Amino acid sequence: MPEHWIWWSLTVACLVWYSTVTVYVAVRGVIDIKGMLRRLSQPGNGSDD
Amino acid sequence: MSHLGWLDGSIVGLYIVATMVAGIAVRKYVGKVEHFLIAGREMNLYLGIASLAATEFGIVTCMYTAQSGYNNGFAGATPGILAALAMFFVGYTGFCVKPLRDAGVMTIPELFELRLGSRIRWLSGVVIVLGGLLNMGVFLRTGGDFLVTVCGFDQKYLEITMTALLVSVAVYTILGGMLSVLVTDFLQFVVMSVGLLAVTILILANVGWGRLTATVQEHYGAGGFNPFMHPKMGWEYVVANAMLSLAMVLTWQTTIQRLLAAKDTRTGRQVYTRTSFFFLCRWLIPVVWGIAALAVLTPEQVGGNTLLAMPKLLSQIVPVGLMGILVAAMLAADMSTDSSYMLTWSSVIYNDILAPFHKRRWSEKRGLLVSRTIVALIGVFLLFYGLWYPLRGNLWDYLTVTGNIYLSSMSVLLVACCYWKRANSWGAAGAILFGATIPIAFLVMEQVPSTRHFAREIVGPHFSNIATYLFAGAAMVVGSLLKPRAKNVCVERD
Repeated sequence: MPEHWIWWSLTVACLVWYSTVTVYVAVRGVIDIKGMLRRLSQPGNGSDD
Repeated sequence: MSHLGWLDGSIVGLYIVATMVAGIAVRKYVGKVEHFLIAGREMNLYLGIASLAATEFGIVTCMYTAQSGYNNGFAGATPGILAALAMFFVGYTGFCVKPLRDAGVMTIPELFELRLGSRIRWLSGVVIVLGGLLNMGVFLRTGGDFLVTVCGFDQKYLEITMTALLVSVAVYTILGGMLSVLVTDFLQFVVMSVGLLAVTILILANVGWGRLTATVQEHYGAGGFNPFMHPKMGWEYVVANAMLSLAMVLTWQTTIQRLLAAKDTRTGRQVYTRTSFFFLCRWLIPVVWGIAALAVLTPEQVGGNTLLAMPKLLSQIVPVGLMGILVAAMLAADMSTDSSYMLTWSSVIYNDILAPFHKRRWSEKRGLLVSRTIVALIGVFLLFYGLWYPLRGNLWDYLTVTGNIYLSSMSVLLVACCYWKRANSWGAAGAILFGATIPIAFLVMEQVPSTRHFAREIVGPHFSNIATYLFAGAAMVVGSLLKPRAKNVCVERD
């Protein structure tokens, strides 16, 4: 049935896409966290009290 | 007997310690309410993708999607396809999200105040919190059910497991707010993804694709692959879920909070487009798990509760070592969801419902104290609501009905606020009234024995949801047109 191939393609696409994105985001996310914390620790970004 | 060995326990323990340390460590960067609620708008693209993905996949997600696979076959993943399309469309075109992010607000109701007045802002805050908390109310028990079943613990430990999970999440969320949520979400995204992928590959290797499709064909025929041919789905299921998907993408507070925490509008839209395919993954992967449970387990093993079929399967086929990764992954999924949800509803309570009281005049220190107290109170509410609410029927149906209490009206208000100059407070109030009344009436009728059959079998959740959107939209148009033009004052922010 053609539906089987649609769901098979979507499942394989999910596994491939998800694996790739996990590795990529795991690396780039660390850089994002470091940048975010660096910007937040700069003067003027603290409490105004 | 517990299915967790010492190796599994060590993996889970290591994960929990790492999460707590990371979550608590960033509390020192929280100096303002803006840091606490939206991370000072310093979130970048990849952190946003990790956080959104981790937030939108909890144990509850895994449970209802797997149940959908067990009960409907591959057609059960249809909402995932619709959500992915909606996410990509909104991110690519900037539909509503661009004007929302450009407005520089912290919540959606804050935007409404600019066009529709402060009363609509307050009322919107109330329905958002009402729908959101009712929706989240079943997360804890569902998560506890999964963990107890997979780990092989006695049912009497369910409440203790739920409480311990919630307290640990509440600790770092109260201390670090959105900053802790983002950092722990990142960690949880990695752990969760490794676990999900590993278990999916294990299932496909053990059960096999051919057996999965044969099982769906045997139980559901063509309807198991095509929602339009499924006897319990049909066009009304697809239409209701398409409406829900678009509304969720536009106004689901946890999703919107990532848009508003992004460093700029472009980043926020990129988080949408690049996370869109994950919304298919978050449905299709557990649907495959649910179908595998249908293929492997006998009806006697499943019992009457199809929600527990998938965890029962996992408890049988996942080996030592991978079991630890699975439990850590699902704890990660649940903790990231719980923390984000607690924070997001607290942000609406603080920013919109309490707005008439603080009027932006409270000091940052007082604002932080109040925000943290609200998170703690939400945690207490969830604990008690999760313990006593008896879930009837399909979990996904419950979530869509409770979500629609505000998704319908808020999406109508948002579209009208951004693109219809004639929209005003009369129309908004009507949309909120109809948007909340229909789902609440359905929920009540579902619980009352004399109306239960009518609500579940004759009306059904799909038609109830479609009616909610149609009535909310009609109320917005009619109410806005009824209000005399001369009094339609449009307040613009400089």
